[in-house]
Amino acid sequence: MIADPLKTHAAAAATESPLRRVAPVHARHEFVLEVNNFSVDYGVGEDMVRAVNDVTLKLRRSQVLGIAGESGSGKSTLVYAMTRLLRAPGVISGGDVTLNLANEGDLDDVTPLSLVTASERELRNIRWSHVSIVLQSALSALNPVLRVGREFNEVLKTHRKGMTRSQRHDRSVELLKMVGLNEDRLARFPHELSGGQRQRIMIALALALDPELVIMDEPTTALDVVTQREIINELNDLRSRYGFAMIFITHDLSLLIELADEIVVMYAGAIVERAGASDLYEAPRHPYTFGLLNSFPPLHGERRELAGIPGSPPDLAELPKGCSFAPRCPFVMPRCRLEAPPLTNIDGLDRSVACWLHIGGPSVRVPVELSREMSPLRTRFTALEDRA
Amino acid sequence: MKSLRLPRSPKVIIGLVIVGFFIIMTVIGPWLAPYNPSSTAFAPLLSPSAHHWLGTTSLGQDIFSQLLVGARATMVVALLAGLAATILSMTVGIAAGYLGGMSDEGLSLLSNVFLAIPGVPLLIVIDSYLPVSSRSNFFVIGLIISLTGWAWGARVLRAQTMSLRNRDFVEAARIIGEKRTRIMFTEVAPNLLPVLASSFLFTVLYAIGAYVTLAYIGLTSTAVWNWGTMLYWAQANNAPLSGEWYWFVPPGICIALVGTGLALVNFGIDEFINPRLRAGGLTSRQRRKLGLPRRIRLGLTPVIHSTSKRTVVAAPAKLVSR
Amino acid sequence: MSVSTSPAQLSARHLTRHFATRVPGKLFQARRVVRAVDDASLDLVRGQVTAVVGESGSGKSVLARMLARIITPTSGELVLEGTSIPSRAKRTLAYASKVQLVLQDPYASNNPVHRVRHSLERPLLIHGAAKHEVDDLARAALSRVSLDPPERFLDRYPHELSGGQLQRVSIARALCVKPDVLLADEPISMLDVSVRLGILNLLKGLCENEHLAILYITHDIASARYLADEIIVMYAGQIVERSRGTALVDQPTHPYTQLLIASVPDPSDPTSMASRSDEHSSFAVPEIGCRFAPRCPFAMDVCRHSDPPDFIVGEGHTSRCWLYANEPEAVVEMALPERRREGGNDEDMKMSN
Repeated sequence: MIADPLKTHAAAAATESPLRRVAPVHARHEFVLEVNNFSVDYGVGEDMVRAVNDVTLKLRRSQVLGIAGESGSGKSTLVYAMTRLLRAPGVISGGDVTLNLANEGDLDDVTPLSLVTASERELRNIRWSHVSIVLQSALSALNPVLRVGREFNEVLKTHRKGMTRSQRHDRSVELLKMVGLNEDRLARFPHELSGGQRQRIMIALALALDPELVIMDEPTTALDVVTQREIINELNDLRSRYGFAMIFITHDLSLLIELADEIVVMYAGAIVERAGASDLYEAPRHPYTFGLLNSFPPLHGERRELAGIPGSPPDLAELPKGCSFAPRCPFVMPRCRLEAPPLTNIDGLDRSVACWLHIGGPSVRVPVELSREMSPLRTRFTALEDRA
Repeated sequence: MKSLRLPRSPKVIIGLVIVGFFIIMTVIGPWLAPYNPSSTAFAPLLSPSAHHWLGTTSLGQDIFSQLLVGARATMVVALLAGLAATILSMTVGIAAGYLGGMSDEGLSLLSNVFLAIPGVPLLIVIDSYLPVSSRSNFFVIGLIISLTGWAWGARVLRAQTMSLRNRDFVEAARIIGEKRTRIMFTEVAPNLLPVLASSFLFTVLYAIGAYVTLAYIGLTSTAVWNWGTMLYWAQANNAPLSGEWYWFVPPGICIALVGTGLALVNFGIDEFINPRLRAGGLTSRQRRKLGLPRRIRLGLTPVIHSTSKRTVVAAPAKLVSR
Repeated sequence: MSVSTSPAQLSARHLTRHFATRVPGKLFQARRVVRAVDDASLDLVRGQVTAVVGESGSGKSVLARMLARIITPTSGELVLEGTSIPSRAKRTLAYASKVQLVLQDPYASNNPVHRVRHSLERPLLIHGAAKHEVDDLARAALSRVSLDPPERFLDRYPHELSGGQLQRVSIARALCVKPDVLLADEPISMLDVSVRLGILNLLKGLCENEHLAILYITHDIASARYLADEIIVMYAGQIVERSRGTALVDQPTHPYTQLLIASVPDPSDPTSMASRSDEHSSFAVPEIGCRFAPRCPFAMDVCRHSDPPDFIVGEGHTSRCWLYANEPEAVVEMALPERRREGGNDEDMKMSN
């Protein structure tokens, strides 16, 4: 159990997945999801609060995108609005979300669908069969008066009308096995199962129709760390087998670093940094990311006092002028309070950050503290100082 | 307490207006009445006219004056009964819910008994034992009506208290050493205000009905004018059959209106307690202006095209998202 | 038992708490006993933080409430300042003034209809402060938890404060009675990540500056390691391992502790991902024998028949596992990833891409 070694997510990603047959020639092929300048508000007019501000991101097929943030970051609002599941008084106030659907898994036949302008019928067609979502309240998303088998049956009956009853049963059993559950769970009621088991069932339901994109909103937050580990391993295994892309939302940045290929850090409704997982961990550019990484006490190494980030996440209704992180930033400059930094590509690599420290040009030096803090990775950051 | 938000719903506004109107009538009614309601100086059974806006009774009394004066007794007794019943239900309900065990069993038994006994017949029985002199006493009548109207509220409050009892802030109060009675009335009860308010309104509604019924049967003193007594006299003189609508219809309408008003205000309190019943933050006017559908459906988040970029908003729309 | 030499402020000796539940579906069967806490002993020493780590169902919250005396133990005793307290006795105001408990959810543990001022005044008044002193004492309490200036917070309602601020208010409220022992039941798990360290540092500061004995309950072993002078790991109601300092995190001896540490996401250690497993969390706790045996990769026959006692595996380090019966010094190290020693080499940590 513990003894068996290692399955790094890198190894998993390297496994041939069914959707990778065709070499991407067009953005449509490469990206399963494209979000451009997406904004979401709560309410309108005077009382309006902008919960998601001008978010742009792309998700490659079979990739895991992690979205990290705290309360008010807009991470949950973002994905609910993207899939048009956001409740009133939420409204989408700008931008576009395009889903590039591969019909029958064939990458030569890709249809882009704009979720923002889609009709109800189109949305219904893609929901669950191409995009599925495991909600934060997944543990209570199962109908308490229905047995588990019935839930599976309903999903399959609704979306795969051609299946017979026994075919549906076989598929349900197959799905349960896929998440490591025994067939006899089909006969149980949700309350008879543990939290971890219910979560596995939610995942199985989400994968029932072999979607291209699975969105998970804090799926393991309510579970204990051992169960969380099991579920995460399960997800990695499934991903390597079925090749779906995944958006994983959580406040636990250390989990994302292990799990995700690319991480997006959100603060006060906007993206503040986007980078590959290991790049983000080794060399965070945004002071918020830096502070966030410093907020997780390490399991090993020297015990020393960590500071976290002073203050608290902002009230979206009263955001300050300029950069919204400025009030809490240890490296704040006068410019930060006047003008909000745009999300910019840096280092010529595929990573971006919204911080004046990294956009200012050659005259802006990265502060020494940002480059030397954070043991045990002392040596990594000296490179930053040279670069500035 | 959270800041009082002005009710937006038209239901509530109408309800408040109606109730407000009748409260004003209670206060200044007798003062406004053109004649003494008991005075039989006028010609009997006159139809509504300029001198007698609602005509006269078979004894020659001005009906309009009776209506105005009668408002006071009806409303005051109902309000008193509502108040007394609410105090009773609060004491019994909160104690039963919080203390649990044998106290709960005993108090629940008490309230169940009172619930099971039909209210109005019990009232009739109690009333018939009252000395005649006290039948005109508002307090006494209010009190006995409250005796039959408290049990329902007690049950509701008991259930609410039981759910509050396990909340962390109650446990925290216990941890710092707060005494039981103080916890019940300073920590638990303030959280029950919406339920108490609703229970009060509901009981007032019941009390009006009960009082009018008693008066209609003739069990209250006829010296005191109230709408029920008017109906009693109207019925006794065969007004419905004789087509003298101006005698029994006005009090009937008034009773119905007050009841409706109270019920509408009750809706408002429900919406206040459960914010999800409110109109989802967007008024219909706003929705129309933006071209959004009249009812926003789940699974179809509306899309509007705003041109404004980052706006720094001053309005206090508090958002706690998690 | 703790090997600390200073006298303990509050000690628990063999605390046990059983709950009798009816077996669902069977009306006349014997009732099943849930052993929420079994034979737990610990010492809380002034100026020290003791951390209890466990998952939900491990009994840690029940233990805290027994220490606060809002749940009565089925057996066992509490010793406060050397005086034993009988379990059946009612919780006195004097006890409340010595031992206080801070709960997990700051928004739930503060009455939404009362201002902060009220929450602070009540404990002050109940425990003997004079009316005219109350205002000053309340302000002082807020300053002690770094809510400055106090005036900004006194007249607020709970929903107007952030989670971190409100949790500080809860701590200030507990401090108002001037306790010797502060019990904190998962004080940070409902707070935003960036705010958590502030509260942990506050607890550490209170421990050192005001010489309190602090019990810190958590499911997150990393934060326990950050804060604690002594760490205790609980599983299914029992204390399975305990050590001074970080010994049990650096060298976990009990298989459950090993599993726990291997499961924690640790970005600095890319090999920490264990392999796939099939729904182990559904294992029921057995009636006899070691409670972890059904999930234990090293389970032996003796484990299934009898409950192991505590064995000493190091200085101030004990483990409730039959593996250490004969060789107290042997620390079983399976194919676990190399544990990073203090100040190790960074080069190995490059994640393979």
